[in-house]
Amino acid sequence: MNRNNWLFTGLWVLTLLMASPTQAAEQKLTVLNPLGQPPAITKVPMAPRLDTLAGKTIYIVDIGFTDTHRLFTEMQSLLGVRYPDTKWEVRTKIGTYFEDDPKLWAEIKAQGHGMIIGVGH
Amino acid sequence: MVTTAFRELATSYAYKKGMPNIRLTFVPHPITGMPTDVVRGYLQGNNPVTGKPILDEIVAGLTQPLTAEDQATGLVERPIPRLVSVSDTEEKLVQLFHDNGWTDGLPIVLPTEERVAAMLKGTSHKPDELVGSMQPSSPHEAWSYTVEKVAVNAVMAGARPEHFPTILALAASGVTSLFTSTTSFARMGVINGPIQKELNMNAGIGALGPFNQANSIIGRAWTLLSMNLSGSGRIGQTYMGSQGNNFNYNNLLFPENEAQLPAGWNPLHVQQGYKPEESVISIFTGWGFIHADQSFSKDFHTQIPHWLQFISPFSSATLLLDPTIIKQLKTYEGFDSKEQLRDWIFDNTKLTAKEWREDYYSVQNFVLPVGRKGDEPYASWMKLPDDAMVPRISRASRITIISVGGETNLFWQPGDFGLTTSVSIDKWR
Repeated sequence: MNRNNWLFTGLWVLTLLMASPTQAAEQKLTVLNPLGQPPAITKVPMAPRLDTLAGKTIYIVDIGFTDTHRLFTEMQSLLGVRYPDTKWEVRTKIGTYFEDDPKLWAEIKAQGHGMIIGVGH
Repeated sequence: MVTTAFRELATSYAYKKGMPNIRLTFVPHPITGMPTDVVRGYLQGNNPVTGKPILDEIVAGLTQPLTAEDQATGLVERPIPRLVSVSDTEEKLVQLFHDNGWTDGLPIVLPTEERVAAMLKGTSHKPDELVGSMQPSSPHEAWSYTVEKVAVNAVMAGARPEHFPTILALAASGVTSLFTSTTSFARMGVINGPIQKELNMNAGIGALGPFNQANSIIGRAWTLLSMNLSGSGRIGQTYMGSQGNNFNYNNLLFPENEAQLPAGWNPLHVQQGYKPEESVISIFTGWGFIHADQSFSKDFHTQIPHWLQFISPFSSATLLLDPTIIKQLKTYEGFDSKEQLRDWIFDNTKLTAKEWREDYYSVQNFVLPVGRKGDEPYASWMKLPDDAMVPRISRASRITIISVGGETNLFWQPGDFGLTTSVSIDKWR
């Protein structure tokens, strides 16, 4: 190998060493999406609203979390003063707040006209 | 009605349940522990989110006519493309993954087609096989995922193909490592069987620390797959742990030190009914461990009840015992099995009925309501005199004893973790 060939080879290696990291860093990658599949959402129509509160029974449902009952009895009291013609009925759902209470829901459907539910956390 | 801390949770939850326009009213947070006149003042004031009077909003919620959108029906599909929609440089894609909330904040390995294909060689299962479903907690929606999706997350964690069956077993358990609650839960993964040696895992000195590739990476993969395959860990929506839990980075994943168990002391998976030659991962749920600074001049077992006093009666108990202690318990203190020690602890770790009823938030929120329904033994415990004694851990089966450590001293760690489930790793080879 003559002197020019050595020089050419040397420059070529140098170019590779200098260029490869940059090229790798600038190379565009295609990657897979890591997300699982969420379920489809079934839209649920909301219950009809009331035209008036007068003469109606509204249930206020405490799901059993600490101090929710105190919040809701205060709410019952304030709403009772403002809307005396409405019956504001506070109930505590059975069991822990993870549990269903079909009996209470049946009572509200049979005797109530509306429901407020919530958590006073 | 919800307090303001849960605004994002309530809104996103209503959307996912198909009622995005549900009438929500927010009151200031917290209500818990606030004086009654303050609570009343909140109700008489404005919703901090809308600026409107709270009582007016409640009435409007009951009486304001519905819009057409409020009454809409139908199905909203949520397709997830197989590939990330943009091709870009490594640096920019890694940042995209961070920005999208798909990582734990640490560097990741990008899941290219080639890397995912290599990971899939770690199992005989087909890429499109459904592995299972997972949810951030029971009221939340469950997402489903295939073998390939688990492989994507395993690549991101830095796993090698030989780690993949264990990661698939974690995914198949359906147990998120990021259980959402305002308390900051942790999970723990304990590995038993031949897989320990196959993966060169560390059950000895520093087993609970960052000193072993398999211990570290498999644990981390559990967090990434929980985030991405179940939607767990979205702060404000599917994660509400007020302080968070550092264990969530790799979920206390370690192998039990089976080799140092004396005769009669069975490995954890054998206690669960598996054969010694089966490889199994057992999943635990809890919050934390402490260092027990016990005296070496007293019998070891007599000191255990003292160190379990920090555990809520709502919780379970797990003892991480260095093999030195196990050998002492067996040789000098007469405990011939884990079960014998467990039963002794159950019988000798108690608190008064008054303490049980009055001192623990979780008992008041989760146990007393069950007792009020008549469920035993809680219904009877609620009627006991104040000074009667009840077990701190409600059942002996909720006490777990695990061997781990390198025998540099007689130390151990009690914690409030309980066994959630055990899953076969071999099934996913």
